[in-house]
Amino acid sequence: MTVQKNILKVGKAIHRIDARSKVRGAEKYASDYYGQNLVWAGVKRAGIPHARIKNIIIEKTKNLTGVISVLTYRDIHGSNRQGVIRRDQPVLADDKVRHCGDAVALVLAEDQAVLKEALDLIAIDYEPLPGIFSIGKALEQGAPLIHEEHPGGNVLLKGDLKTGRGEAALEECDVVVEGYFTVPYQEHAYLETEGGWALLTEDGHLEITASTQTPFRDLAEVAEALGIERESIRIRAPYCGGAFGGKDGITVQSLLALAALHCQGRPVRMVWDREESFIAGVKRHPGSLHYRLGAKADGTLYALSAEVYYDTGPYDHLGGAILALGLEHAGGPYRIPHASIRGWSVYTNNPVAGAFRGFGVPQVAAAMEQTMDMLAAKLDLSPLEMRRRNAVHRGDKTPLGVTLISSTGLAECLDAVAEHALWKEKERWKASAGSSKKRGVGIACVMHGMGYGPIVPDYANAKIELTKKGAFRIFCGVVDMGQGNASTYLQIAGDILNQDMDHLELVLPDTEKTLPSGSASASRTTYTFGNALIGAAEALKKRILQRSAETCASDPNDGLTMVLRPGSVFHPPTGKEIPLSQIVRMLDESERISVFEFRAPVTQERPTEDENLRLHGIPHRIFSYGVHLAYVEVDELTGKVEAQRYLAISDCGRIINPQVFEQQIQGGIAQGIGYALCEDLVVARGKIQTPNLSTYVIPTAMDIPEMESIAIEKQEETGPFGLKGAGEIAIDGPLPAIANAVADACGVRIFHAPLAAGRVLTALEAKRGGKEVKA
Amino acid sequence: MKISFTLNGKKIRVDVPPDRRVLDLLREDLSLTGTKEGCGTGECGACTILVNGESRLSCLMLAAQLEGCHVTTIEGVSSAKKLHPVQEAFIEHGAVQCGFCTPGAVLAAIDLLQRNAEPTRQDIREALSGNLCRCTGYQKIVDAVQGGSAKLKKGQTS
Amino acid sequence: MYAGGTDLLVRLRKNPVNPFPLVCLGQIKELKGVRESPEGAFIGACSSHASLLSNPIIRYAFPVLAKGLQVLGSPPIRNMGTIGGNICTASPAGDTLPPLYVLDAVLEIRSQNAVRRIAIKDFIVGPGQQRLNKGEILAGIWLKNDPDFNIHHFEKVGQRNALAISVASLSALLKVSESGIIERVRLAWGSVAPTIVSPTNVEAALKGHFLSKDTLQKVMPLLREAISPIDDIRATAAYRRTVAGNILLRLLASFPYKEGYGT
Repeated sequence: MTVQKNILKVGKAIHRIDARSKVRGAEKYASDYYGQNLVWAGVKRAGIPHARIKNIIIEKTKNLTGVISVLTYRDIHGSNRQGVIRRDQPVLADDKVRHCGDAVALVLAEDQAVLKEALDLIAIDYEPLPGIFSIGKALEQGAPLIHEEHPGGNVLLKGDLKTGRGEAALEECDVVVEGYFTVPYQEHAYLETEGGWALLTEDGHLEITASTQTPFRDLAEVAEALGIERESIRIRAPYCGGAFGGKDGITVQSLLALAALHCQGRPVRMVWDREESFIAGVKRHPGSLHYRLGAKADGTLYALSAEVYYDTGPYDHLGGAILALGLEHAGGPYRIPHASIRGWSVYTNNPVAGAFRGFGVPQVAAAMEQTMDMLAAKLDLSPLEMRRRNAVHRGDKTPLGVTLISSTGLAECLDAVAEHALWKEKERWKASAGSSKKRGVGIACVMHGMGYGPIVPDYANAKIELTKKGAFRIFCGVVDMGQGNASTYLQIAGDILNQDMDHLELVLPDTEKTLPSGSASASRTTYTFGNALIGAAEALKKRILQRSAETCASDPNDGLTMVLRPGSVFHPPTGKEIPLSQIVRMLDESERISVFEFRAPVTQERPTEDENLRLHGIPHRIFSYGVHLAYVEVDELTGKVEAQRYLAISDCGRIINPQVFEQQIQGGIAQGIGYALCEDLVVARGKIQTPNLSTYVIPTAMDIPEMESIAIEKQEETGPFGLKGAGEIAIDGPLPAIANAVADACGVRIFHAPLAAGRVLTALEAKRGGKEVKA
Repeated sequence: MKISFTLNGKKIRVDVPPDRRVLDLLREDLSLTGTKEGCGTGECGACTILVNGESRLSCLMLAAQLEGCHVTTIEGVSSAKKLHPVQEAFIEHGAVQCGFCTPGAVLAAIDLLQRNAEPTRQDIREALSGNLCRCTGYQKIVDAVQGGSAKLKKGQTS
Repeated sequence: MYAGGTDLLVRLRKNPVNPFPLVCLGQIKELKGVRESPEGAFIGACSSHASLLSNPIIRYAFPVLAKGLQVLGSPPIRNMGTIGGNICTASPAGDTLPPLYVLDAVLEIRSQNAVRRIAIKDFIVGPGQQRLNKGEILAGIWLKNDPDFNIHHFEKVGQRNALAISVASLSALLKVSESGIIERVRLAWGSVAPTIVSPTNVEAALKGHFLSKDTLQKVMPLLREAISPIDDIRATAAYRRTVAGNILLRLLASFPYKEGYGT
């Protein structure tokens, strides 16, 4: 039937619905609003890492022509604290500043030029405090405290997990290897910096439009921090120009709200410039990791000791949860009967570390997967064979001792790698390196947990409305930050309701229109909301068909003989077709809307009795899996490493839209290649030395190789159409796969990322000189 | 100061302060917000426009430099109904994710295809090396520019 | 005074000037384009990098310059930035400078009533410093044909393959005989000292020897004395020092190397 041609069927590579307005430059992002009578807001940042505020001198600024208002903590009448789990971050610093990017004063001005001048005129009188710039210093006895009231001192969260006999079992291993690794900060570097606009309406409503992943959670935080009724705040979340976790939590929202309260009903805009985004925005946690891994002579993993230290900066943001996810994944996707896994997320006066795609897993994957290669080498096993012998299958226990009760496709991924040309032809490729070049191939296995864990409810509320014109309006409760989930929602609804694009509408997240559905994060966006949407769509479909049958079919008891068609209901036995615009008149206002809540299942196992760790997300129930393979070429003269081919084989369940899935995998790999090779945020005494895209180097089109992505489409029984999360897993693999490839090429391992040219050249030279290197 | 130039096919005359960046003129004064600001220092390419057919960074230009020029922004590439073949190819090949780099990348691609109708993948990577993208890993953008090239060629022969 | 504005606008963003006494030379026709002369070519100072890159005279007569232009910034930067701007900015990392040094470029400086010529190595005196007097502009660059050279080499070491600021670079022109002997050689390094380094003693030490790894290794100590790299956010001095020497070895790959040369 031709009429079926354009139905949005699940499994089809449907072109994303947001692409058309985006290629035309017509899509309005949060930073695209200028409007009439606009006020410009900007922030005075601390500039120093740790100090008590004695005085904020704003008189000169206040008197500057064109300045509307200068606001400090004194103008805040709420808790002045925001944060996701621990609310420890002030909107505007009050007693002290804790990192260079802390906001101290908020200026409202008539235009951009005045704003800049005004910010320069603000002087802050500080009593400097000793700064803490390393994890080691923070943990020292008697170290100055960053949050005097925090019972854990400078330790935000500590985790101590043990399975079997723990590290004591290392003594029973035939082979043990040990490695100390460090991983750097990573900047999200989304093209759209943090920004948005706000307005206080005449009836006292505060309307905020921001580039955010979490409008509903933001609303609660803004209300509490500023002491405003929740009911009077509305947050809209248009498509983000990239987020990757960096907009998971408050950036401009509270500041914009505070500004709007002082703008006499004028709209106020704030967009951070690139430097401010670097200085004030969150980053991936840098860390140091100490691994000891032991196996029996036959290559069976037996015991692990992992110590993980993350520098979280001065605020929680999500630094506890990130550590917890890191600890849960520290042993990788392997069966290891005995493990001691310990971790510390530590407060410092460095930049704030927070959520970033991968959420604590890329760091541990880097350490674990390199340790696996070291162990394989010692056992004289191929890296692939080593992993095949130890890979988890469904029903096995993770290194944390949690049974994998959901779909587990790692073994299939490994089989696919073994059969792939890039694996089979690797020796030939390596042998054909040109002069002054060395080539190597590396692999890495990764797993990534989905959702919030056992305590924090991971739920979504989907809402669909049959409009009076006979179209279906999907109220999207979870932000689309660029990953295409909004489009996927239409595809899910289209499939169930048998509709084409012309009969589907989308409402983007808006706390006044859409329903609370959690954050766009944790690889849970399509899983959780998708399941809710299926429920809502099925219920509405049933209602429509039932009512159609009652009203116009020959047999009113048999709604099943009716079928939905784009814009209509069809009765095959009689050939009768009724437009939905007519059906809608038979429904009450309330019946046109269908709402369904889905709550993600959690595991009942308790690998730890530490309630705080459970609150922070340990353990998960559903995991995605992947095996990555990298071809690299190293230039012996410069130390420069180039990734030349890349393969990712993933088990993310069934795929709803192959094109959107591939986008996630390729994008994750590219970001991971940057993390592995060139991205290095340099921080000296709390101050970022690379606060722009000239000195913080992300890959260009010339730096990313051709990538291949293969999906092992294993059904996840609880997933919408069998799907599992795919947003994060691809960034877990590149650093270890590339590090293993570089070690393969050079015959020497570099334990410190990124594997920038300088480190590699030093290692090569030391090797030539016969020395053992610590890069 | 007063300057005159052709913007998306229409002659216009504007009065701007001498230190007005082209980017601000377009976005704030002329409401053409398809041109994006990603860095303000010429590193990201989100603010790419075409000046006399060549890609330029509007964050590194003062409005006065447009005097007498033909300027094309993303809004001038197509009408709401009929997209440019390169735009169609970006949609079809999945080259659009968050979309913030997309206008600049589309314009850089159009610039390339005017000079080189059948670029290799390496040519495309080089031509778009001034347009940072944080979502796609570039591969689908390269696919799209190749697709755009094929579409343009087909359009010419038919 | 500015031409393309690619550096200037970045600086103005940090430190706005008020009032705004800027003169843009970018649209003066006389300052653009390449003119062939019997001895070589004259390049207008306001020629964009992209226009030079696609210019047949530059591509065929001065390939070493074309190779430098090829990796400068990004395509839009090459469309906007000019060769005159790259010279007057006088950054040790300027990608056109090492090629212009080995080509012995002579600059034409004009003021209202006078024209003077000066060799590029005498014009640039320090990072960001050149001998442009008040009232003068750089009008163009004279390059001499020298078809004698049979190796035209340029390498830039950066943190990525495009949009990179050079961490070290090498331009080289060599005449190597069929038997592999270096008969003439010009070398210039970028980003390893306050200005471009073109050490005549290194060149002299290579002359008359076989182009071989051995020969190149032997001049390394001289080279390392000639350069004075610094630590900065992009690379350490030590790295620059090592790489400045190492990339000289790449010359081996740019000549059809025959078994037995120099051994």
